[in-house]
Amino acid sequence: MKTISKNSTLMAWFLVLPALLIFALMILYPFANSIFTSFTNKNLIFPKNDFVGFENYIKLFKDPNTLPLLFTTIKFVFFSTICPFTLGLIWAILMNEKFKASEFMRGLTLVNWIIPGIAIGFLWNWIYNGDYGILNALLNKMGIIDSNIIWLAGKQTSMVAVVTARTWQMFPWYMAFIMGGLQGVPNELCEASRIDGANNIQVFTHIIIPTIKPVLILILILGTISNLQHFDLINVMTDGGPERATSTFAIEVYKKAFKEYNLGRAAALGVIWAILLGSFSFIYLRNLKEDN
Amino acid sequence: MFQKSLGFRIFFWTFIILIGFFAFFPQLWMISTSLKPETEMYKISFFQNFDLSNLNRILHNSDFLGYLRNGMMVAIISSLLSTAVSAFAGYSFSKFRYKGRTQVMAIILISQAFPQGLLLVSLYPMLQNMGMIDKLPSIILAYVALTLPIGTWTLKAYFDQIPNSIMEAACIDGASDFTTMIKIVMPLAFPGMTTIAIYSFVWAWNDLLYALTLISTTAKRTLASGMIFTFTGEGGNDWIGMMAASVIASIPVAIMFVFLQRFFVAGLTAGAVKG
Repeated sequence: MKTISKNSTLMAWFLVLPALLIFALMILYPFANSIFTSFTNKNLIFPKNDFVGFENYIKLFKDPNTLPLLFTTIKFVFFSTICPFTLGLIWAILMNEKFKASEFMRGLTLVNWIIPGIAIGFLWNWIYNGDYGILNALLNKMGIIDSNIIWLAGKQTSMVAVVTARTWQMFPWYMAFIMGGLQGVPNELCEASRIDGANNIQVFTHIIIPTIKPVLILILILGTISNLQHFDLINVMTDGGPERATSTFAIEVYKKAFKEYNLGRAAALGVIWAILLGSFSFIYLRNLKEDN
Repeated sequence: MFQKSLGFRIFFWTFIILIGFFAFFPQLWMISTSLKPETEMYKISFFQNFDLSNLNRILHNSDFLGYLRNGMMVAIISSLLSTAVSAFAGYSFSKFRYKGRTQVMAIILISQAFPQGLLLVSLYPMLQNMGMIDKLPSIILAYVALTLPIGTWTLKAYFDQIPNSIMEAACIDGASDFTTMIKIVMPLAFPGMTTIAIYSFVWAWNDLLYALTLISTTAKRTLASGMIFTFTGEGGNDWIGMMAASVIASIPVAIMFVFLQRFFVAGLTAGAVKG
């Protein structure tokens, strides 16, 4: 261990300083200030900024749209985590078989995750397009539907559409983590239990799953956090519509602040959102601590 | 890992076809659409009649070129700044012990869970007061701040693996703390630093929310927010143009990724797991 002289402590702080300054200016101060803003009637256009106590929270509490917003967020987050997680797990198992094209295919899948959300949103808008989209054309041809579905305009189908696009974008990310986990599975143990008569499913549930469980838990938590923050795809595809059917906290806070200019109300909604996110991050931190 | 039983083969082929189609068909559809002549926009055809005129049209659209240029500049500067700032902080967290260290580390980590929309509620008026709205440096600073948590924690994990004895040896040889860090330890953590450089580049290149909120003039827009404005209203039905722009927007990150995916993915997963 490095000797702790006064000199090196100075150097240590000097090195953190740039990070700390940027962090304080762009994250810490705005966060603290937003909590304060949630108790004011601050507005982006009108120069008012008075303390109003809990008024914003009470208004939100009475607003019939708040509870559905919470449910929609939970629905979006739940399916946008579970679906790509499941696909990622299966795809990781397949790619782990190391067949001829597996490395190439793995790299190609990860492209979904790396390209801009806006491109993904446009792509799925085009696929789901009611009149000329390829999805309706395919379903028509296969005889599954006989009239076109306007996917992004339906209250149920719009959520399905957004979750599908999010799944397409994110399942490679889950795959990458799970493949990392699979490398830690002791092959001798799999062989040994097979000699004892275990079949594939037993090997999977008794050896593979327990070994990669920490990774699985980690990505479920991280995935949930990132979906709670997610903005891009919903913004591009439905903008929270139709009739708020896909409106999550990320969309609603943005709209309240920058379309309705009601910063106070947006901040109050954002604080509730932060509490939701905070509770998941708490689980993440506790999980990290247990691992170490 | 698995026995190649009949059951496993059925499982393998079913999902390789189903998930493979789900993963790759949309990619191909995007490229195929971007290469169609405009007259065939609404025809269901797949890689027939190649026509580069739409890619050309987008690449000669002066607004779009501006978005590309701004986006590239913002992404490169954010990436370099974020890597440098994260490396310094990560080095400090890894190689020094001092009061307040764990608290600072914890709060940087937790900040990932601060809702970005909530930050913007205060960031916008703050930057407005500073005269920084609609200025590219403000989004660059925001991207550096937002990529700091992953950056510092990942690089700290890399520096942790470099034994202190190397630094001590350098010290004995008369190198100062700073030279030891720059010339000896950081080159050893090069894979980690590349990971963070790519991560921050991709973040800045792909970001929509901050660019949409903090930038308001066309000439200053970066890629994602610029594309939104190009293809709403009149441009809203120009699907070929949209796909062409999407392909162009995806190329830089996709290329970068193909070359560097191996240690990028390993670096990111390692950082998150070791945290």
